[in-house]
Amino acid sequence: MKMRKLTAMLLLGGAVAFASHSAVSADKPAAKAADKAAVTKAGNGGDKAAAEAAIAAAESARKKAASADGEWRDTGKMIKKAQAALKEGDFAKAVKLADKAKKQGELGYEQAQAQQELKMPSYLKY
Amino acid sequence: MKHLSGKLLLLSVVAAVAVAAQASAEKASPERDREVFENRYKERFPDVAKEEYVNGIYAIDPVGRESWEAIEEFPPYELFIDDGVVMWETPFANGKTYKDCFPDGPGIAHKYPYWDKEQGMVMTLPLALNQCREKHGEKPLKYKKGSINNILSYIASESRGQVTNVVIPEDDPRALEAYEKGKKFYYTRRGQLNFACANCHVQNPGMKIRSEMLSPALGHTTHWPVYRSKWGTVGTLHRRFTGCNKQVRAKPFKAQGEEYRNLEYFLTYMSNGLTLNGPGARK
Repeated sequence: MKMRKLTAMLLLGGAVAFASHSAVSADKPAAKAADKAAVTKAGNGGDKAAAEAAIAAAESARKKAASADGEWRDTGKMIKKAQAALKEGDFAKAVKLADKAKKQGELGYEQAQAQQELKMPSYLKY
Repeated sequence: MKHLSGKLLLLSVVAAVAVAAQASAEKASPERDREVFENRYKERFPDVAKEEYVNGIYAIDPVGRESWEAIEEFPPYELFIDDGVVMWETPFANGKTYKDCFPDGPGIAHKYPYWDKEQGMVMTLPLALNQCREKHGEKPLKYKKGSINNILSYIASESRGQVTNVVIPEDDPRALEAYEKGKKFYYTRRGQLNFACANCHVQNPGMKIRSEMLSPALGHTTHWPVYRSKWGTVGTLHRRFTGCNKQVRAKPFKAQGEEYRNLEYFLTYMSNGLTLNGPGARK
């Protein structure tokens, strides 16, 4: 009888433990999503001015590259996406895209500067 | 005596500079560029005859050539030629036709591009067609897609057998300048992938980029406009320039803008001596 009671208690304890573990597991994605949402919200609320400044800097870098015929294909598109994110209030996304576009503008300009002088390739034998 | 040796020294310096300048000019001449360009392909594909390059990639890709030859039995560009005939013959609203602008037409593709001294720019056939339209009160056609390809297809088909013969007139230094700008464009690395046109089509023709074989630049200009299976229609040379620039992730330039017209001037000059065989069909 005692043995039966003990087994029953053990089974019950196991079931409770499993149930609570499952509940924790099920809560994890929800908690992660909530954390992410909180972070995004903080970013969104955080810095509209920073996003606007990042976009302006990106546009300036794009124009500089274009002035040297060195603009890359996707720079302008990235800036447009950044502007859309700014409009939607997703400032973190806007900054990220604008920074990437700015980098492209800078690299495009550097590339154009490095290519200013025509150097005929060595595989052409003059 | 001292005075004389000083003069002699000066003369030898002047002579040396003159010789160096002449050598440099010779090195940089368009004709020398063309010879060197052509030699590149002779070295790379010694078994391919020069005239074969008018067939583009199919000059060096025997497998692709089989499909292309099958396609050419029922050319996909024929309907565009037919529409081009109608365009050529239909009078504008003022009663004039293209023939009034191009009395030698329609087989005139071999005359383009050329240096237009009056306008101080490289004149291409699509630009000349639009200038004709505007002169007669018609709207200009778009330069990459659409009906400009119909009339270009007809003109190209009527120009088959003519020989590429781009001239860089010596009496106007701006012509050579335009050629040099086109050449500079061709060898300039651009875009996120840092490629020049020459990297694919002069350095590495015959090599593969993903599943596609890179075509040789020699003969690139002989067969436009082209029906590309990828496009599902006929498109212009400048549409292709745009596509190439996009592929290396560079922002393309405006079709029929100065950059691409100069590029066409240079690139067509490189194919001087090759027969025109447009319109073409490509993958």
